[in-house]
Amino acid sequence: MKSVPTPLLSVRHLVKQYRATGGLLSRPAPLLAVSDVSFDLAYGESLGLVGESGSGKTTLARLILRLTEATAGSVRFDGIDVLDLDARSLRALRRRIQIVFQDPFGSLNPRMSVGAAVREPIEVHNIARGAAAVEKVTQLFQEVGLDPSYVDRYPHELSGGQRQRVGIARALSVEPDLLVLDEPVSALDVSVQAQVLNLLLDLRERRGLTYLFIAHDLAVVRHIAQRIIVMYAGRFVETAPAAQAYSEPLHPYTRSLLSAVPVPDPRGQRQRIVLKGDMPDPRHTPAGCVFHPRCPHLKKDDRCRTEVPLLREAAEGRKVACHWFEEPMTVPQSQAARHVN
Amino acid sequence: MSELLRVRHLTTSFMTGAGLARAVDDVSLTLLEGETLGMVGESGCGKTVTALSLLRLVDRPGHIAHESVIEYQGKDLMQMSPAQLRQIRGAEIAMIFQEPTASLNPVLTVGAQVDEAVRAHRSVSRADARARTVELFELVGIPDPAKRVNEYPHQLSGGMQQRAMIAMALSCNPRILIADEPTTALDVTIQAQILELLVELKQRLGMAMILITHDLGIVAGVADRVAVMYGGQIVEQANTDALFRQPAHPYTSALLRAVPRLDQPATRLATIPGAVPPATAWPPACRFHPRCPQTMDHCKSEMPGLTETGPAHLTRCWLAEEQHRRDA
Repeated sequence: MKSVPTPLLSVRHLVKQYRATGGLLSRPAPLLAVSDVSFDLAYGESLGLVGESGSGKTTLARLILRLTEATAGSVRFDGIDVLDLDARSLRALRRRIQIVFQDPFGSLNPRMSVGAAVREPIEVHNIARGAAAVEKVTQLFQEVGLDPSYVDRYPHELSGGQRQRVGIARALSVEPDLLVLDEPVSALDVSVQAQVLNLLLDLRERRGLTYLFIAHDLAVVRHIAQRIIVMYAGRFVETAPAAQAYSEPLHPYTRSLLSAVPVPDPRGQRQRIVLKGDMPDPRHTPAGCVFHPRCPHLKKDDRCRTEVPLLREAAEGRKVACHWFEEPMTVPQSQAARHVN
Repeated sequence: MSELLRVRHLTTSFMTGAGLARAVDDVSLTLLEGETLGMVGESGCGKTVTALSLLRLVDRPGHIAHESVIEYQGKDLMQMSPAQLRQIRGAEIAMIFQEPTASLNPVLTVGAQVDEAVRAHRSVSRADARARTVELFELVGIPDPAKRVNEYPHQLSGGMQQRAMIAMALSCNPRILIADEPTTALDVTIQAQILELLVELKQRLGMAMILITHDLGIVAGVADRVAVMYGGQIVEQANTDALFRQPAHPYTSALLRAVPRLDQPATRLATIPGAVPPATAWPPACRFHPRCPQTMDHCKSEMPGLTETGPAHLTRCWLAEEQHRRDA
């Protein structure tokens, strides 16, 4: 699948650098949260952005929504230059891009009934008023699987799953084109998580929504995303159609990440690649490939330590940032099975 | 293998504004020497309160019922004085928690905190305690241990902090390690490191472990036996393989179907309707009946007991009991 003629969202060379303050004696070092990333999101597509804490995935989402200002690069949404908009135009754009956060308890006003919380954006954006707005809230509650009699309840009276449904209803209330979902099911229990994931699948199909789904849980993303981007230390290390990324990951980080996910089957335990160490300190990212200090690839050499691997085409619709992805990456038994630092 | 821990009719309740919460209700379990028992369940099922109760770490307004029996090597912790309990806690049974950041004192070096744990149960000099701490850091895979002991918690990553907590827990060679969601706050690659470490240490030191988690994948990979909790009770208990191959309780099988997983096609997930009830309002009779797809009349009127439905396989379900009787 080649890139679609006009993508809904087009991100180019986006960079976010924080001017970090130094310690008492150390010199301040800039912190590169997002480092020169580019991608397109097609109309109606569901794109998964995966990575561990500190990989830059949430910062990237915030840059797109302009909740955080980018240092460099461009974001075009439906042809509009997002980073160039003034406050008024930005408000109009926010109607078309909505975000759902991880913790619905933190994102809902505790002193506002959940009905009012869903109604507020409808009135702010002049979509409907009075009785028409109330009617729309009722419809939204039904659509997300909430009993409309709950409109007068307060967030603390609802369960985590119900609150997340309110968060989704609120995002949908302004009829957005793009929904940015930042860890929307991470705070939920397994039994409720499945309900919310199924709801998101249904909504996308019914409303033709475009999703940017951010999560650390690879198994969750697999149920939602058609294509995935794997981030590590502010960079994209692999992008691929979901089916291929999961069945045949190419980047050593993606492979390790997938192998580290626990499988709920005592007989189906796979060989794990246990990475050493932690993700690098964003103020002191290693030279060359950011992943090289932890990389288990056998071919790892000086080039990995000195030359930043570019995100290059590996196959139709697939890109990988690794000098050695073409080489087989079998991990010796001893290294895979045991790890003591 | 001999019994290390024998718990009978453990019941812990809390007086809350919303009424009496029986967070743990009549839990009985046994831990054998050297084994890993996994305890799984969703938030509010009582798994953490069970763990805290095992060490009598429940304070007011919580209360452990007097009939509860917690026998460690034949001695009942319920009958012990505070001084006797201190000989058990940390020394014989140690515990690690979900958030290492919350368990570590931010103004003391990690080394000093482990020294303290070493000296709590043994009269050793400061220098000897420090030597033991460095040894422990090495044991749990903290690189450059002689230097890291002098660092403060914030200078360590989440994974390293959890290793320091494990070092502290192991300081007195406990026979039992209770690990309450030890990897939940960590990233998946770090989680893999910590799980490997726990499994290896358990084997090397010959400990038994109670691993509490919400993640069925973790239990599948680490536990010998599993207890599934729902509504403050154990609803199913079996050897790990049997539990995953032939779950007998409808809750266990529903939970297994609701987990997104990498080893099966990405089809639509099965769901469990409703949500976990609060401990102040457990449903009457079978606590799972309002969410169960196979509810019968009997389930609404009488609470099922935990009965044998297979070899070393216990289930709290009328239907499973009936099926077992028919098969037998």
